[in-house]
Amino acid sequence: MTTTSVVEEFVEVGGAKLHLLKGGEGSPLLFLHSIEGNLGWLPWMDRIAQSATVYAPTHPGFGRSERPEFLESISDLARFYLWMIQELGLEEVTLVGHFLGGWIAAEMATMSPDSLSSLVLVDAAGVRPGEGEVADIFLLGEEETTRLSFHDPATVPGYGDLFERELSPEERELQIRGREMTTRLSWKPYMYDRSLEWLLQRVDVPTLIAWGAEDKIIPVDSGRRIHEAIPGSRLEIIPACGHLPHVEKPNEFSRLVLGALPENESPPALAEG
Amino acid sequence: MFLMRFTERAYFQYTEEDVRNSYRSAVRLTFSNSHFDPETAADMYNYYLDEYEYCEEMGFDGLMLNEHHNTPTCMGAAMNLEAAILARATKNAKIVLLGNPLPISDNPVRMAEELAEIDLISRGRLVSGFVRGTGVESWATNTNPVHNRERFQEAHDLIIKTWTTPGPFRWEGRHYEYRVVNPFVRPLQDPHPPVWVPGSASPETMIWAAQHHYPYVFLEADPEVVGDAKAIYAEAANDVGYEPGPQNFGYLFRVHVQDTDDKAYEVGKGFLAGNAGVGRVPMPPEYMNPPGYTSIEGRQRSSQINLRPDRLVGGVDAAGYDRVVGMNRIVVGNPDTVVRKLREVLSVIRPGILAVWTNDGSISHEDTMRCLELMDSDVLPALREIGEELELPGPFEVAP
Repeated sequence: MTTTSVVEEFVEVGGAKLHLLKGGEGSPLLFLHSIEGNLGWLPWMDRIAQSATVYAPTHPGFGRSERPEFLESISDLARFYLWMIQELGLEEVTLVGHFLGGWIAAEMATMSPDSLSSLVLVDAAGVRPGEGEVADIFLLGEEETTRLSFHDPATVPGYGDLFERELSPEERELQIRGREMTTRLSWKPYMYDRSLEWLLQRVDVPTLIAWGAEDKIIPVDSGRRIHEAIPGSRLEIIPACGHLPHVEKPNEFSRLVLGALPENESPPALAEG
Repeated sequence: MFLMRFTERAYFQYTEEDVRNSYRSAVRLTFSNSHFDPETAADMYNYYLDEYEYCEEMGFDGLMLNEHHNTPTCMGAAMNLEAAILARATKNAKIVLLGNPLPISDNPVRMAEELAEIDLISRGRLVSGFVRGTGVESWATNTNPVHNRERFQEAHDLIIKTWTTPGPFRWEGRHYEYRVVNPFVRPLQDPHPPVWVPGSASPETMIWAAQHHYPYVFLEADPEVVGDAKAIYAEAANDVGYEPGPQNFGYLFRVHVQDTDDKAYEVGKGFLAGNAGVGRVPMPPEYMNPPGYTSIEGRQRSSQINLRPDRLVGGVDAAGYDRVVGMNRIVVGNPDTVVRKLREVLSVIRPGILAVWTNDGSISHEDTMRCLELMDSDVLPALREIGEELELPGPFEVAP
């Protein structure tokens, strides 16, 4: 249950209305969601909200956020979110991104590291794995992608509400809109950018790379490559966890993110088990 | 009435079990080409071309080809090559390509050149249809489905300009850019080969075709839906100042003739049971309709247009043979039966273009040749009379 007072609003960036959830107190933390769209205010956000103000926007072209016509690529989105940071007057931002959102976050960090205080990349796309392949979510279809995304759905808090609830026609339409936008952004090359791995060398903010040990969507090897590319970065592999650590292991995940906030220099150790 | 013959040129030397055991039990896109035997396929390509050459001898006005990728249901993965062969091997029939899937072309200027060559070699017999292609075509060529309709329209505009505007010129579009568009080879037909558009009654495409005076060829559509769809086309045609007639519409469906009704009924089962007993369609929905292939805006526009659903849920391939035959959605029989049933269908749909899809699936070359012989002797002459009687001019008799 949510204990934070969460504000739902629309902010305007470059003439486009962007849907945004905002809650908590403290330095700004911007969370960029992945292909499943904005899942709402999640339990991990509640835990963080005591220490940070969480901004959870819905990407342009997903849900109820407008897509400016020019916006066609991940690098466009990265510049769009840097623009949003500027518009909202945010400083010292902790940037957290998952998979597709992790790719956007990584691009942002290569473009404007000075805008960020720290970076958390979670099972992030953007760098092609040397071993294995990124699962083709389009070919697998939605149901199979969801099934592969979790190590053990039975242990996932709120799994039924998030992934098994029958959607209203309007909700379904918004979900399809997100699928369409994902296709627009990531069809080819599929889920990576050739130059990103090299550009990541530029990132000089404290960076945590968090990965579910049992991720069947994007191999851990992508995480290793990102870790090798970003100087001084830290790689945390979360045991017994699939592709969405922030949903499947909210306690471990929030502990890791708390450790990445600017006021915490060294992260607390990951709980066993 | 313009009469043309069509087959998808199926490859069918694989088993039902092969399909069931393949990735997602799909017969298209991911069905492994390890099931392809080149020796067999070499024979098939040649007898399919033989059949088309024979169709010209028997007096068909058009030889219709199509193109699909990554599928045994259609061996025309490079349709323009077959068209080029027929351009040289035949003398009179139109070569009707329905059509080239434009969005998957990364080089529409090359497409314009290929089609111009076919038009020249055939001495002006090319009908150049254009299609969006199914979702499988997007997958097979890794073309972003979100851009499908935009690329279709831009590639079309570029090809038409390439054919009709003296070069060199520059093209800077959203999906295609060229410094120097100036292919030396231009088509023989002036201003360019006729363009026809086949499809399944998508309102967006029909409106676009009507605006361009392009005949629209309905692919196996429910006659009731065709009625609604023709009204949509007509409204768009009226908006740009003309009244469409039969010459603006075509109808394609499966028609198989044998000496007796019983024989035709049995052989015709190969249309659906063919391709190893699993038909043409088993595949996950994502294959035909990847995310973004049908835009939300497009679906919203379509939903505002009142088109009835097909009475055959799942279409011709899924509704069961007897039901499909009973509703004249596939016509089989002896020549008299076929002529009678075709008259019924033509009276309702009133197309100026009729495409008979004579064989597919597991229907053998021998049965196909007998079907074509009977078409020649008994069916085509009767169809020409029916076309006159019902006043169904084709697009080469009355300009669309």
